[in-house]
Amino acid sequence: MDIKRLAKLARLRIPEEKYAKMESDMEGIVRMVENLPDLSSDGALIDLNNTMELREDEIKPSTPRDEILANAPKAVAGCIVVPKTVE
Amino acid sequence: MDICKLSATEMAACLRSHELSATEIAKASLERIQKVEGTVDAFLTVTEDEALAAAAKVDAQIAAGEQLAPLAGIPVGIKDNICTKGVRTTCASRMLENFVPPYDATVIEKLKAQGAVLTGKTNMDEFAMGSSCENSYFKPTRNPWDITRVPGGSSGGSAAAVAACEVPLSLGSDTGGSVRCPASFCGVVGLKPTYGAVSRYGLVAFASSLDQIGPFGRTVDDVSLLFDAISGEDKTHDATSKAGNFAARIREVKGLRIGLPKEYFGEGISEEVRAAVLKAVEEYRAMGAEIIEVSLPSTPYALSAYYIIASAEASSNLGRYDGVKYGFCGDRGGSLTDMYETTRSEGFGDEVQRRIMLGTYVLSSGYYDAYYKRAKLLQQNIAKEFEEAFTKCDFMITPVNPTTAFKLGENVNDPVAMYMADVCTINVNIAGLPGLSIPCGLGKGNLPIGLQMIGPKWSEGVLLGAAKCYETAVGGFAVKEM
Amino acid sequence: MNEKYEVIVGLEVHAELCTKTKIFCSCKNSFGAEVNTQCCPVCMGMPGTLPVLNKQVVDYAILMGHALNCSINRVTKQDRKNYFYPDLPKSYQISQFDIPLCEHGYLDILVGDEEKRIGITRIHIEEDAGKLIHADGFEGTLADYNRCGVPLIEIVSEPDLRGAEDAKAYLEAITSILLYLGISDAKMQEGSVRADVNVSVRPVGQKQFGTRTEMKNVNSFGAVFRAIQYEAARQIDVLEQGGVIEQETRRWDDANGVSVLMRSKEDAQDYRYFPDPDLLTFVVSEQHVQQLKDSVPELPVAKTLRYVKNFGLVRVDAELLASNKARAAFYDSCVSTGKNDPKLVANWIMGDIAKYLNENRIEINDTALTVENLTDMIALIEKGTISNTAGKTVLEIILKEDRKPGDIVVQQGLGQISDDSVLQNIVDEMIAANAKAVEDFKKGKTNAVGFLVGQCMRASKGKGNPGILRDMVVAALEKL
Repeated sequence: MDIKRLAKLARLRIPEEKYAKMESDMEGIVRMVENLPDLSSDGALIDLNNTMELREDEIKPSTPRDEILANAPKAVAGCIVVPKTVE
Repeated sequence: MDICKLSATEMAACLRSHELSATEIAKASLERIQKVEGTVDAFLTVTEDEALAAAAKVDAQIAAGEQLAPLAGIPVGIKDNICTKGVRTTCASRMLENFVPPYDATVIEKLKAQGAVLTGKTNMDEFAMGSSCENSYFKPTRNPWDITRVPGGSSGGSAAAVAACEVPLSLGSDTGGSVRCPASFCGVVGLKPTYGAVSRYGLVAFASSLDQIGPFGRTVDDVSLLFDAISGEDKTHDATSKAGNFAARIREVKGLRIGLPKEYFGEGISEEVRAAVLKAVEEYRAMGAEIIEVSLPSTPYALSAYYIIASAEASSNLGRYDGVKYGFCGDRGGSLTDMYETTRSEGFGDEVQRRIMLGTYVLSSGYYDAYYKRAKLLQQNIAKEFEEAFTKCDFMITPVNPTTAFKLGENVNDPVAMYMADVCTINVNIAGLPGLSIPCGLGKGNLPIGLQMIGPKWSEGVLLGAAKCYETAVGGFAVKEM
Repeated sequence: MNEKYEVIVGLEVHAELCTKTKIFCSCKNSFGAEVNTQCCPVCMGMPGTLPVLNKQVVDYAILMGHALNCSINRVTKQDRKNYFYPDLPKSYQISQFDIPLCEHGYLDILVGDEEKRIGITRIHIEEDAGKLIHADGFEGTLADYNRCGVPLIEIVSEPDLRGAEDAKAYLEAITSILLYLGISDAKMQEGSVRADVNVSVRPVGQKQFGTRTEMKNVNSFGAVFRAIQYEAARQIDVLEQGGVIEQETRRWDDANGVSVLMRSKEDAQDYRYFPDPDLLTFVVSEQHVQQLKDSVPELPVAKTLRYVKNFGLVRVDAELLASNKARAAFYDSCVSTGKNDPKLVANWIMGDIAKYLNENRIEINDTALTVENLTDMIALIEKGTISNTAGKTVLEIILKEDRKPGDIVVQQGLGQISDDSVLQNIVDEMIAANAKAVEDFKKGKTNAVGFLVGQCMRASKGKGNPGILRDMVVAALEKL
C-alpha cells in the first residue's frame, strides 16, 4: 500500500512521526476489509429497484451573496480568495 | 412534578391541559442541561435564546386558542451534523468549528414548523465516524449510567442527553449503527428509519448511501411522535427520499413471526447480552408471537462491505473541506497544494483521516473492481438475503451491540476492535432497512442492554407497534436517576 | 504542412445548455451576472446539501443525441469525478462515466465539396465549474461560483477528423446544430462552447495511430484551427528529428500561438470515478425518447442539400443560408407560399436583408418583416409592377413596419410606368435633349443606348419599366 501516493491523492499530509502508525493502522484495516467473497460482474453498477425522479426546470431565488461568503476564510470584492493558481 | 422526567407525549398533554406552559418546559430543560452537563457533556452548543423564543411563540399560540402541532413546545436536541440556520454546526470537528450554515436541514424546517423547541446541538464522533463519541474534537460525552463509560456513537450526545433527561427527544444520524448503538448503551429508544424515509438534506454527509437521520426518546411513543414529524418525501431537495406509509401501527404481536438470525447470536456476543435479548424474545413468545430461526449467510462479510462503501463515499464527501469556501483553513502562505494539505491534515482528526485514506485506496485506479465494486455487489446479495428471510418472518430480533458500554479510552488505540462494535448494526444500513433499538434490561454494573428489531423496508409501523407491546408488557423502560 | 504525414484530430466539445436553472439546483442559469450572486448552498457545495437532477438537461442532451444519430441509454446514472481545484466546490464534478446518456453516433460534415462522416463516441451530461479570476497585481486568485452547476454536455468525437479544416467544419456544424435545437447559446467567445483537442500524426499509409496529445483551453474556432496546425507541426518536427511523441496534456496559449506542457502521463490524475450515491439510477421512457426524436427539426446539412437540389441554389449560398437557423426558417416559410422563384427569395434574404441585419447587429425575427410582406414585394417585382430599385425602397419600409407592399407602392407612387404613350413622350424628350449620345450611337457606340435608357429612367423618377424603355429607345434611334 503506497501511503504517500494515497495521502497525496487525498490532499493529506502525514507527518513523519505519525507515518508508521498510519501505515500499521491502514494495513490492519485493509486486512479486515479484504474479507470479501468472490463476486464480479461485467456490468455497470445500476440499481433498477431504486430509481429517482427528476426535477422540473423552475427558477428559485439564489442566496444573498453575503450569506454565501459569510463562512469563507478569505473574501475580497465579492469573490473568495485562494492562493494563486497560475504562475 | 419533575418536568424533565416527563415524556414528550406527557409534556404535550400538559400543554394542552394548561398544566404547563411551553416556557416552563423550556426553562426546565435548560436548567437540567445546566445541572448535568458538567458530568455528561452531551451538548456542544446550547441555544437558550432561540429555545425560549420558540417556547414563547407556542405559548402565544396557546393563548390565542390555536391548534397545536404534535411537537409544539417540546424540547429537542439536534446532533451537530444536522444544519441549523444561524446556529453553528461543527460535526464535532475542528474543520467546522466556526461553520454557521446559511440554511436549515429539511428535518429542522419540519420541527420548526411544528413549533418544537430546539435546545441545542449535541456531541458526536467527528463527522459521525466512530462508535464511542470519543472522536469528538471538542470533548468526549459520558454515559449517564456510568460516567467512566462511553455513551456509544456516533450520536452519543443525542442519546446521553435523552437518557439524562436534558431533553425528552433528540435527533441523531445512523450510517452503520450510530443511532442504535448509543441508544442501546444509554438505555433509550432509537430508530434508524428505512433509507429514504427521512430527507437527508442538511445532514452533513458521511456515507450518502447509508446515512439516515433517526429519532431518540425514552419511550416508544415519543420516538414514534418524532419519526412522524420528520419522515416524508422531499422531492425538492433529496432525490433519494421516498414517500412511505407508516401511519398504521400494529397493536398486538399475536400471530406475528419473529425471526432470529442465527449469525447474530454466535461468537463475539457477550453472554449477558445474548441472555437479555433471548429473555425479551420469550416475552414476545408469551404474547403470542411465533419464533423462528432464519439465516443471513453473508453476515460475516458485512463489515468489509460496510467499511469499503462507507469510506469510499466519505473520502469523496469530505473532499469539499479544503479551506476555500468555509471551515478551517491552514496556512495560506504557500502554494495551493500546501494550503489544501495543511487544512486537511490539521482540520481532520486521526479517525477521519484513516477513513479518507481507506476510501481513497478502494476507489483508486486498479483497486476499484477488487474493493468498491465487489462490496457493492455484496451489498445487493445482502439485501436479497434479507428479502428472502422476510418471506419467512415479519421482523427479526438481534442484539444491538456485542457488549454493554465500554470504558472511555478502552478501544481508542485499536481501530479494528472499535469497528467490531458495529457488527450487528451495519447490515441494516447496507440493506437500507429500518432498525429499532429498545432497552431489554440491565447487565453487570447496571449497564443498559439493547435489543434490535429489523424489519423489511417501510415497516416502521410494525417495528414501533411491536416495540410498544414489549414496553407495555415489561412495565416501561428504566430511567437513570441523576 | 509536411505531406508525408496525416494529421488525426479528435474533439471533446463542452457546450453549456441554456436551461432556465442549473443542473442540480434551482439557481438561475445565466451568463454575465455579478460575481457570486447566482449561488445557493447546493451549487456552493455547502455541507449537507444534495443535488436534484434537472429534467430539461436530460431532454436537451437526448435531443443532441438524436441530432447526432446516437443510440440513447434510457437507463443511466451519474458518477463523481474526484479532484481538488478551487473552482470545484465539492472537490468532485458530477458527470457520467461508464454509461453516457448517448453514444455511437455520427455527424456528416461538408469540408469544401466533400461530405465526411465523423463518428460520435458519446455525449454525456455534467456540471460546469466556477470561474477563477487572475487580477494583475493581486496576491491570490479570485473565485466566482456563478458558473458552478451550469449544465454541460460533453460531445466526444472519434479520431475521424483529418486536420484543422475538418475540425473547423465539425465545430461549426456542432454549434449550428446546438443553435438549431435551441439548447445552447453556442457562443465560443463567452465560453459557452469550449473544446479539448486531441492531436496525433502518422506517416501517410500507416494504419496505426500515433501517440496523441491533448490540448485544453481552446476557446474559439480560430484557436482550434491554429492549435491543431501548431501541434501537428510540432509533432512532425519531433518525429522528423528522430524523437518520440509523449502522451501528455498541453495548454494552448493562443496569444503566443504555442502549446505548453501542462502535465505528463506520469502525473495523470486518478479521478476515482464512482456512482454518485446522492443520485439514483434514472430511467427515461421509450415513449419520451421517441417524442424527443420526433421534435428534432431538419438540420443544417440536410437543409443545404435540399436547397441545392430542390431550389437550385449554389452550394456555398445554400450552406450559408442553412447555417443560420432563423433566416433558414424564414426562407422556408417564404418558399412554401409558392409565390416566388426560390432563388430570387434567397437573393433578397442573403443580400439586402442580411446587409441590414448585419449593420444593425440583429436577427431577422427582431425586424418587422413578415413572410407575407416579403413574398408580396418580390411578387410585385416578378410581375413587373415595380422595379428592383423600388423593391429596395419597399423593403426598407417593411423591415421596420408591418405594411402591405401593394399599399406602399400606391402611396409612394413606386409603381412602374408601363403606359406606352407616357413612356414614348419621355423617350422622345430625352433623344431630343441628348444630341451627343445620338451622334455617338450613329458612330456605332452601342453603350449610348444604356446612357439614354438611364436618362429616361431618371426622367421617370425610376418608375419607368426599363425593359419597355430600352425597346423604345432602340426603335427611336433606328428610325433616325
